[in-house]
Amino acid sequence: MKFVRHLAAVVLAVAVIVGLGMLWAHVAGGGTGIGGQLRRPPSREAVQRLGQIRAGVIAVRPAGGLSLADSGDLIRTCVIEAALAAVVITVSAARLRHRRTRRAASHG
Amino acid sequence: MNASPATSVEDPPVAGSRRRILARTRLDFWLDALLLVAFTLAYSLGFTGIALHEWIGIGLGVALLVHLTLHWDWVIRTTRKLLSRGGRERFIWLVNLLLLACMTLCIASGILISEVALPQLGITLPASFFWRQMHDTTATLTLILVPIHAALRWRWIVGVARRFAAWRPGRSR
Repeated sequence: MKFVRHLAAVVLAVAVIVGLGMLWAHVAGGGTGIGGQLRRPPSREAVQRLGQIRAGVIAVRPAGGLSLADSGDLIRTCVIEAALAAVVITVSAARLRHRRTRRAASHG
Repeated sequence: MNASPATSVEDPPVAGSRRRILARTRLDFWLDALLLVAFTLAYSLGFTGIALHEWIGIGLGVALLVHLTLHWDWVIRTTRKLLSRGGRERFIWLVNLLLLACMTLCIASGILISEVALPQLGITLPASFFWRQMHDTTATLTLILVPIHAALRWRWIVGVARRFAAWRPGRSR
Protein backbone atom coordinates (compact mmCIF):
# COMPACT_ATOMS: atom_id res chain seq x y z
CA MET A 1 0.00 0.00 0.00
CA LYS A 2 2.88 2.33 0.91
CA PHE A 3 4.55 1.54 -2.43
CA VAL A 4 1.37 2.43 -4.34
CA ARG A 5 1.02 5.68 -2.39
CA HIS A 6 4.64 6.62 -3.12
CA LEU A 7 4.27 5.59 -6.78
CA ALA A 8 1.22 7.88 -7.09
CA ALA A 9 3.27 10.76 -5.62
CA VAL A 10 6.14 10.05 -8.04
CA VAL A 11 3.79 9.89 -11.05
CA LEU A 12 2.29 13.21 -9.94
CA ALA A 13 5.77 14.80 -9.64
CA VAL A 14 6.74 13.49 -13.08
CA ALA A 15 3.43 14.73 -14.53
CA VAL A 16 4.11 18.21 -13.11
CA ILE A 17 7.57 18.28 -14.77
CA VAL A 18 6.16 17.07 -18.11
CA GLY A 19 3.32 19.60 -17.80
CA LEU A 20 5.83 22.40 -17.23
CA GLY A 21 7.77 21.18 -20.27
CA MET A 22 4.57 21.28 -22.36
CA LEU A 23 3.88 24.78 -21.09
CA TRP A 24 7.42 25.80 -22.02
CA ALA A 25 6.93 24.34 -25.51
CA HIS A 26 3.67 26.25 -25.85
CA VAL A 27 5.21 29.56 -24.69
CA ALA A 28 8.30 29.04 -26.86
CA GLY A 29 6.07 28.51 -29.88
CA GLY A 30 7.08 24.90 -30.33
CA GLY A 31 3.47 23.77 -30.14
CA THR A 32 1.85 21.78 -27.37
CA GLY A 33 4.39 19.06 -27.78
CA ILE A 34 2.23 16.71 -29.74
CA GLY A 35 1.37 18.97 -32.62
CA GLY A 36 4.50 21.12 -32.64
CA GLN A 37 5.87 21.77 -36.10
CA LEU A 38 9.21 23.02 -37.38
CA ARG A 39 9.17 26.78 -36.83
CA ARG A 40 12.69 27.65 -37.86
CA PRO A 41 15.24 26.26 -40.27
CA PRO A 42 17.57 23.53 -38.98
CA SER A 43 20.99 24.58 -37.69
CA ARG A 44 24.13 24.50 -39.85
CA GLU A 45 25.39 21.47 -37.87
CA ALA A 46 22.14 19.60 -38.53
CA VAL A 47 22.33 20.32 -42.26
CA GLN A 48 25.99 19.28 -42.29
CA ARG A 49 25.17 16.08 -40.41
CA LEU A 50 22.36 15.32 -42.87
CA GLY A 51 24.81 15.78 -45.72
CA GLN A 52 27.25 13.38 -44.06
CA ILE A 53 24.48 10.81 -43.60
CA ARG A 54 23.51 11.13 -47.27
CA ALA A 55 27.16 10.81 -48.31
CA GLY A 56 27.48 7.70 -46.16
CA VAL A 57 30.11 9.23 -43.85
CA ILE A 58 27.83 8.67 -40.84
CA ALA A 59 26.15 5.29 -40.74
CA VAL A 60 22.53 5.26 -39.61
CA ARG A 61 20.96 1.99 -38.66
CA PRO A 62 17.24 2.69 -38.20
CA ALA A 63 16.44 -0.93 -37.45
CA GLY A 64 18.85 -0.83 -34.53
CA GLY A 65 20.68 -3.68 -32.88
CA LEU A 66 24.02 -3.48 -31.13
CA SER A 67 26.93 -2.66 -33.37
CA LEU A 68 30.07 -3.89 -31.65
CA ALA A 69 32.17 -2.42 -34.45
CA ASP A 70 30.75 1.02 -33.70
CA SER A 71 31.65 1.13 -30.01
CA GLY A 72 33.28 4.58 -30.18
CA ASP A 73 30.08 6.24 -28.94
CA LEU A 74 29.80 3.85 -26.01
CA ILE A 75 33.47 4.29 -25.05
CA ARG A 76 33.11 8.10 -25.19
CA THR A 77 30.02 7.98 -22.92
CA CYS A 78 31.83 5.71 -20.44
CA VAL A 79 34.91 7.96 -20.42
CA ILE A 80 32.81 11.10 -19.73
CA GLU A 81 30.91 9.36 -16.92
CA ALA A 82 34.07 7.91 -15.39
CA ALA A 83 35.92 11.25 -15.54
CA LEU A 84 33.08 13.17 -13.88
CA ALA A 85 32.62 10.48 -11.22
CA ALA A 86 36.38 10.47 -10.54
CA VAL A 87 36.39 14.25 -9.99
CA VAL A 88 33.44 14.07 -7.55
CA ILE A 89 34.92 11.09 -5.65
CA THR A 90 38.35 12.79 -5.41
CA VAL A 91 36.85 16.00 -4.03
CA SER A 92 34.56 14.05 -1.67
CA ALA A 93 37.44 11.85 -0.40
CA ALA A 94 39.68 14.88 0.11
CA ARG A 95 36.95 16.66 2.09
CA LEU A 96 36.38 13.53 4.19
CA ARG A 97 40.12 13.19 4.93
CA HIS A 98 40.33 16.87 5.82
CA ARG A 99 37.38 16.57 8.20
CA ARG A 100 38.85 13.47 9.87
CA THR A 101 42.23 15.17 10.29
CA ARG A 102 40.59 18.22 11.85
CA ARG A 103 38.49 16.04 14.17
CA ALA A 104 41.55 14.02 15.21
CA ALA A 105 43.51 17.22 15.84
CA SER A 106 40.72 18.69 17.99
CA HIS A 107 40.47 15.46 20.03
CA GLY A 108 44.23 15.15 20.39
CA MET B 1 21.51 5.91 -5.30
CA ASN B 2 20.10 7.61 -2.26
CA ALA B 3 21.46 5.77 0.72
CA SER B 4 18.34 5.95 2.83
CA PRO B 5 18.29 4.37 6.28
CA ALA B 6 16.13 1.60 4.91
CA THR B 7 18.89 0.54 2.59
CA SER B 8 22.10 0.78 4.52
CA VAL B 9 21.94 1.99 8.12
CA GLU B 10 19.46 -0.68 9.16
CA ASP B 11 21.69 -3.44 7.83
CA PRO B 12 23.28 -5.19 10.81
CA PRO B 13 27.05 -4.79 10.87
CA VAL B 14 28.24 -8.42 10.87
CA ALA B 15 31.83 -9.34 10.08
CA GLY B 16 33.25 -10.99 6.93
CA SER B 17 31.23 -13.46 4.89
CA ARG B 18 28.52 -13.55 7.56
CA ARG B 19 27.51 -10.04 6.64
CA ARG B 20 23.91 -10.13 5.60
CA ILE B 21 22.62 -7.96 2.84
CA LEU B 22 19.02 -6.90 3.09
CA ALA B 23 16.85 -7.77 0.11
CA ARG B 24 16.03 -4.07 -0.15
CA THR B 25 19.72 -3.10 -0.32
CA ARG B 26 20.30 -5.72 -3.00
CA LEU B 27 17.32 -4.38 -4.97
CA ASP B 28 18.57 -0.80 -4.66
CA PHE B 29 22.11 -1.75 -5.70
CA TRP B 30 21.15 -3.78 -8.76
CA LEU B 31 18.40 -1.41 -9.88
CA ASP B 32 20.83 1.53 -9.63
CA ALA B 33 23.46 -0.45 -11.57
CA LEU B 34 20.85 -1.33 -14.21
CA LEU B 35 19.81 2.32 -14.51
CA LEU B 36 23.44 3.39 -14.97
CA VAL B 37 24.11 0.74 -17.63
CA ALA B 38 20.80 1.46 -19.40
CA PHE B 39 21.47 5.20 -19.50
CA THR B 40 25.03 4.65 -20.75
CA LEU B 41 23.71 2.42 -23.54
CA ALA B 42 20.81 4.75 -24.37
CA TYR B 43 23.17 7.74 -24.66
CA SER B 44 25.44 5.81 -27.05
CA LEU B 45 23.11 6.06 -30.06
CA GLY B 46 25.82 5.05 -32.52
CA PHE B 47 26.32 1.78 -30.62
CA THR B 48 22.69 0.81 -30.04
CA GLY B 49 20.95 2.11 -33.16
CA ILE B 50 17.72 4.12 -33.02
CA ALA B 51 15.28 1.28 -32.25
CA LEU B 52 17.20 -0.07 -29.26
CA HIS B 53 17.91 3.52 -28.13
CA GLU B 54 14.19 4.25 -28.00
CA TRP B 55 13.16 1.01 -26.30
CA ILE B 56 15.93 1.35 -23.69
CA GLY B 57 14.75 4.93 -23.11
CA ILE B 58 11.17 3.79 -22.50
CA GLY B 59 12.40 1.04 -20.16
CA LEU B 60 14.57 3.60 -18.41
CA GLY B 61 11.43 5.68 -17.78
CA VAL B 62 9.71 2.76 -16.05
CA ALA B 63 12.84 1.91 -14.02
CA LEU B 64 13.18 5.57 -13.05
CA LEU B 65 9.63 5.56 -11.65
CA VAL B 66 10.47 2.48 -9.55
CA HIS B 67 13.79 4.01 -8.41
CA LEU B 68 12.06 7.22 -7.34
CA THR B 69 9.26 5.31 -5.60
CA LEU B 70 11.78 3.25 -3.62
CA HIS B 71 13.53 6.45 -2.48
CA TRP B 72 10.45 8.63 -1.98
CA ASP B 73 10.96 8.48 1.81
CA TRP B 74 14.40 10.04 1.34
CA VAL B 75 12.94 12.76 -0.90
CA ILE B 76 10.28 13.70 1.69
CA ARG B 77 12.68 13.51 4.65
CA THR B 78 15.41 15.58 2.99
CA THR B 79 12.98 18.14 1.60
CA ARG B 80 11.45 18.67 5.05
CA LYS B 81 14.84 19.10 6.70
CA LEU B 82 16.36 21.07 3.85
CA LEU B 83 16.98 24.22 5.87
CA SER B 84 18.44 22.45 8.90
CA ARG B 85 20.66 20.07 6.90
CA GLY B 86 24.30 20.69 6.03
CA GLY B 87 25.62 21.90 2.69
CA ARG B 88 26.42 18.43 1.36
CA GLU B 89 22.88 17.08 1.84
CA ARG B 90 21.47 20.21 0.27
CA PHE B 91 23.84 19.82 -2.69
CA ILE B 92 22.81 16.17 -3.15
CA TRP B 93 19.14 17.19 -2.99
CA LEU B 94 19.70 19.87 -5.64
CA VAL B 95 21.61 17.48 -7.94
CA ASN B 96 18.83 14.89 -7.55
CA LEU B 97 16.12 17.46 -8.31
CA LEU B 98 17.95 18.65 -11.43
CA LEU B 99 18.52 15.06 -12.51
CA LEU B 100 14.83 14.25 -12.03
CA ALA B 101 13.79 17.24 -14.14
CA CYS B 102 16.37 16.56 -16.88
CA MET B 103 15.77 12.82 -17.10
CA THR B 104 11.98 13.23 -17.09
CA LEU B 105 12.09 15.85 -19.85
CA CYS B 106 14.67 13.78 -21.78
CA ILE B 107 12.47 10.67 -21.72
CA ALA B 108 9.24 12.61 -22.39
CA SER B 109 10.78 14.49 -25.33
CA GLY B 110 12.32 11.24 -26.58
CA ILE B 111 8.86 9.67 -26.66
CA LEU B 112 7.44 12.73 -28.46
CA ILE B 113 10.11 12.55 -31.21
CA SER B 114 10.12 8.75 -31.42
CA GLU B 115 10.80 7.44 -34.93
CA VAL B 116 10.61 3.70 -34.35
CA ALA B 117 9.07 2.68 -31.01
CA LEU B 118 5.84 4.68 -31.21
CA PRO B 119 5.21 3.93 -34.91
CA GLN B 120 5.69 0.23 -34.03
CA LEU B 121 2.86 0.70 -31.51
CA GLY B 122 0.76 2.39 -34.18
CA ILE B 123 1.25 5.92 -32.86
CA THR B 124 2.69 8.63 -35.10
CA LEU B 125 3.43 12.16 -33.96
CA PRO B 126 4.46 15.08 -36.16
CA ALA B 127 8.09 16.20 -35.97
CA SER B 128 8.84 18.99 -33.51
CA PHE B 129 12.04 21.03 -33.52
CA PHE B 130 11.43 22.18 -29.92
CA TRP B 131 11.25 18.63 -28.51
CA ARG B 132 14.22 17.46 -30.57
CA GLN B 133 16.33 20.29 -29.18
CA MET B 134 14.93 19.65 -25.69
CA HIS B 135 15.91 15.97 -26.01
CA ASP B 136 19.50 16.82 -27.04
CA THR B 137 19.97 19.42 -24.29
CA THR B 138 18.44 17.36 -21.45
CA ALA B 139 20.36 14.24 -22.58
CA THR B 140 23.65 16.15 -22.32
CA LEU B 141 22.71 17.56 -18.91
CA THR B 142 21.67 14.08 -17.74
CA LEU B 143 25.04 12.71 -18.91
CA ILE B 144 26.73 15.25 -16.63
CA LEU B 145 24.37 14.73 -13.68
CA VAL B 146 24.21 10.90 -13.66
CA PRO B 147 27.89 10.30 -12.71
CA ILE B 148 27.73 13.14 -10.17
CA HIS B 149 24.57 11.62 -8.67
CA ALA B 150 26.22 8.19 -8.44
CA ALA B 151 29.60 9.47 -7.23
CA LEU B 152 28.04 11.49 -4.40
CA ARG B 153 27.02 8.10 -2.91
CA TRP B 154 30.33 6.37 -3.61
CA ARG B 155 30.79 5.34 0.03
CA TRP B 156 27.44 3.53 0.02
CA ILE B 157 28.31 1.86 -3.33
CA VAL B 158 31.75 0.77 -2.09
CA GLY B 159 30.25 -0.45 1.20
CA VAL B 160 27.58 -2.59 -0.49
CA ALA B 161 30.05 -3.85 -3.13
CA ARG B 162 32.44 -4.95 -0.37
CA ARG B 163 29.64 -6.79 1.37
CA PHE B 164 28.68 -8.45 -1.91
CA ALA B 165 32.29 -9.60 -2.26
CA ALA B 166 32.12 -11.19 1.18
CA TRP B 167 28.55 -12.39 0.85
CA ARG B 168 27.47 -16.04 0.73
CA PRO B 169 23.97 -16.58 -0.74
CA GLY B 170 22.94 -19.08 1.94
CA ARG B 171 23.37 -16.46 4.63
CA SER B 172 21.20 -13.81 3.07
CA ARG B 173 17.83 -12.78 4.43
